[in-house]
Amino acid sequence: MKLPKNLRRRVLLFSLLSFIVAAGRGAAQKQPQIVQVKIGTILASNKNDEFDAKLKGLENQLRVLKYRSYRLLKDESQNVPWQGSKVFEIPGGRSLMVALQEFQDNRIGLKVRLTEGQKPLLDTTVRIANRGNFILGGPPHEGGVLVLSISAVAQ
Amino acid sequence: MKDCENISESMGRWLDGELSPAESESIRAHVAQCADCGEAQRKLEKLQLALEGALMAESKSIEFEPFWRAVQLRIAEKRTWYEDALDWSRGLFTASRAAWAIPALIALLLAVASLESYFPGWRGGAGRNAFAAVDSIDAHGRNVALLREYDSKTTVIWLYEDQEGENETAEEPPPPGPAF
Repeated sequence: MKLPKNLRRRVLLFSLLSFIVAAGRGAAQKQPQIVQVKIGTILASNKNDEFDAKLKGLENQLRVLKYRSYRLLKDESQNVPWQGSKVFEIPGGRSLMVALQEFQDNRIGLKVRLTEGQKPLLDTTVRIANRGNFILGGPPHEGGVLVLSISAVAQ
Repeated sequence: MKDCENISESMGRWLDGELSPAESESIRAHVAQCADCGEAQRKLEKLQLALEGALMAESKSIEFEPFWRAVQLRIAEKRTWYEDALDWSRGLFTASRAAWAIPALIALLLAVASLESYFPGWRGGAGRNAFAAVDSIDAHGRNVALLREYDSKTTVIWLYEDQEGENETAEEPPPPGPAF
């Protein structure tokens, strides 16, 4: 079947457009080479009503926990290579190992292990949105509790 | 013979004066030397004359004035925007436009599907404020709570330390777990 000339031109243009869109989509879904993992270590307590100004961005999330005082103890970022892992030192002789597991639908899969010395406290597997976070809390520290904000950004 | 077929096809337009001077000259030369085409020309001219005569006779009885008045009224008539839109939309469904519109629609759908990759969270999906999905938790025998707070889209994993033995070195007992 012979298509009219202008129709052929339109089909060709459409194929080109589809190719560009599909190629762009494929590129955007590409596995990130590095993910920047950021751990904010916060001391939550009921000793006073102090709210650390550096935690302004997390205020809504921290208020969920219903403590009176929140103070940022440490803020650490590390670039974690794809399918690699990094260890973050947490106050109180604890450490947090974060390993990258997957990147799908703009979500980053993280395997997280909290240990105290050699003793494992918690193992969890979480999928967070790219640039999103989750809160891990509970370990006692200096009359309060530690609250960790764990976030990840695909590079 | 081929020439006669071509001449026969163009003869009507030649007699109506719709051809270029060069084409007209070529046909006139052919008709002058071809008996069949000359005969065809005469028949066509006769038919045209007969039709013209009949039309002139009929046209005297036709009232053109009301027709022209109606045309002028329609030209002067102020059209509403929805009538214009309706006329425009009718034009969309012509075959040639549909041939363009369907691929364009598919390309648009593909582009919308790709938006999530370029602008994460634009449709409230896995944007930065989306809930974290917890696939597994192992607290090694300790109590653990999982909280999801909808207003701030916060996911909290809360680990309850053992009260016995774990905190013997603490100066004061830790505050109880949060009141989720």
